[in-house]
Amino acid sequence: MLETLAQAVINGLLIGGIYALVSIGVTLIFGVVKIVNFAQGEFVMIGMYISFFLATQFGIDPLVSLVVSMPVLFVAGMLIQHFLIRRVLGPNDMPQIFLTFALSLLLLNLSLMLFTANYRTVHTWYSDEALHFGGLYIPVAKLIAFVVAMGLSALLWVFLHTTDLGKAMRAASQNRDVAMLMGINPNRVFAVAFGTALALAGAAGSLLMPFYSAYPFVGQVFVLMAFVAVVMGTLGNVMGALIASLMMGVAESLGIQFVGADSGLIVVFALLLLTLAFRPSGLGAQRGR
Amino acid sequence: METLGKMKWLWIALAAVVMLALPQIVTSSFAIDIFIRILLFSFIGVAWNLMGGYAKQLSLGHAAYFGLGAYTSTIMQVNYGISPWIGMVAGGVVAMLASLPIGWLCFRLRGPYFTIATIATAQVLMLIFLKFRDFAWGAEGTTIPNLGSAPLMMQFEEKSSYYYVVLGLLVVGLWVTHKIEKSWMGYYLVAIGEDEDAAEAIGVNAPKIKRDIYMLSAFLTALAGTFYTQYIYFIDPATAFSFNVSIEAALVSIVGGIGTLWGPVIGTVLLETTSALLQSWLGSSVGGIQLTVYSLILMAVILWRPTGLIGFATDVYHRYARRKPAHA
Repeated sequence: MLETLAQAVINGLLIGGIYALVSIGVTLIFGVVKIVNFAQGEFVMIGMYISFFLATQFGIDPLVSLVVSMPVLFVAGMLIQHFLIRRVLGPNDMPQIFLTFALSLLLLNLSLMLFTANYRTVHTWYSDEALHFGGLYIPVAKLIAFVVAMGLSALLWVFLHTTDLGKAMRAASQNRDVAMLMGINPNRVFAVAFGTALALAGAAGSLLMPFYSAYPFVGQVFVLMAFVAVVMGTLGNVMGALIASLMMGVAESLGIQFVGADSGLIVVFALLLLTLAFRPSGLGAQRGR
Repeated sequence: METLGKMKWLWIALAAVVMLALPQIVTSSFAIDIFIRILLFSFIGVAWNLMGGYAKQLSLGHAAYFGLGAYTSTIMQVNYGISPWIGMVAGGVVAMLASLPIGWLCFRLRGPYFTIATIATAQVLMLIFLKFRDFAWGAEGTTIPNLGSAPLMMQFEEKSSYYYVVLGLLVVGLWVTHKIEKSWMGYYLVAIGEDEDAAEAIGVNAPKIKRDIYMLSAFLTALAGTFYTQYIYFIDPATAFSFNVSIEAALVSIVGGIGTLWGPVIGTVLLETTSALLQSWLGSSVGGIQLTVYSLILMAVILWRPTGLIGFATDVYHRYARRKPAHA
């Protein structure tokens, strides 16, 4: 029993690392640009397809293809911010919500047209490997994904706290108007924030590829997790999103283990609704405007 | 003013004649099927627009009420033999009651996070109905027993009869919207939509208004759920709580003109016609084409004309009308 519990917690933490990459992206965009990117999950999907095609066409390992998927999505993010998002920034919610939502629909359905709904997998030499500790086992592919995800999160933290651009981003997220008065160029900061967030989503996609199937709808699972984690971890807070994501992973895994195989999402949604019911302050209500 | 009033009634009478005669003139069942879809989604859009359009509470979870309406009437009909006409109203009441706790939770959030919370509630309901195996048939769903021609059980042999039912629903929806638009409630809703804090500061009881309009919107959406299930003779959690219903409800309103009486209808006509044309050109074999085109239209509207087609038409009209007095 204790062992089952420990195993479930380990599984949850490992996948929680991937959720963290997605949530940090969502919270970064929300913090700096003040919009919610509904399409974040679709960029995970795109990262997966990039790694899938590099693996099947050129035999490149998905972990190596990280160096392709991240820059590609970073540039894509800068372009999307510059040509689309920039045009709807303002006091009105509707265009912001439905522009990124339309982007999500577009990318999802385009990939459905181009790649069909088939599940794509990449088999690597470490896909079936696992480390054993007593009765516990840790799949190598998931462990690598977790470690790289935590490494990238740490890098982002260092970037946000030590570089001028990172500090400008944090300043913009704390008080945009004052930051602008201090001479921070909003368009540049927003573009970098959006690009960074998408690069993280792309990284999540590449890291998933050795042990997860790519299909057009795959992003929806991750984006829902990210939204819940971001609400629970206080909007716009990178560290909060990271911790909440790991918690979500564990909660989902415990749900699957002890309630039923298809109950992971129910547990997650229940957590969201309970949070809203009992601790709404510090979540969306204050800063959600 | 007198003549304008008369003109208005003339137009309404003309529109009524056309709408009533349409299924008698165009008898192809393919066409009637498209008309029914247009009327149905117009009606769902009208229901969404009451809350999403006027009060700008942008829900993407209206499938929750569509599904509750569908399931309430179907459970009453299949398990207890109660007519869907009664089940339809019962479904509406169930949806209204469900909107109270759902609204209590979701209205704690504003803006995009309200939208996300509504998505979550619809998903939770779908998952719950997937689990209810003995009560609501679980994932397999069930077919509605076909009784042939049984108008009292909302079953008709002629497709055109379904057309008239859903036309009736749409007329009710538009009439309710029109009444609200002209009432204090309508002004409160628009005030909340413009700036909720400012509305509260001048004495609008925003929580109560939002709760009431959510109940009404849920009630109407549930009626559509019952109708749709009766029309396709089948129900399962994936169709009843389909995310596509939530999406289309919002999309038709935004594309047509958010917060306007006719916006949802015009948006539906455009989107459903486009979809039907695409299907006849390309066949239904290409998955995803419909929503790809919808999302492109949505992006175009948001980037170039956030007031929708109605806004576009009004701008054009004003440009034309402004020129008129110049040479008068």
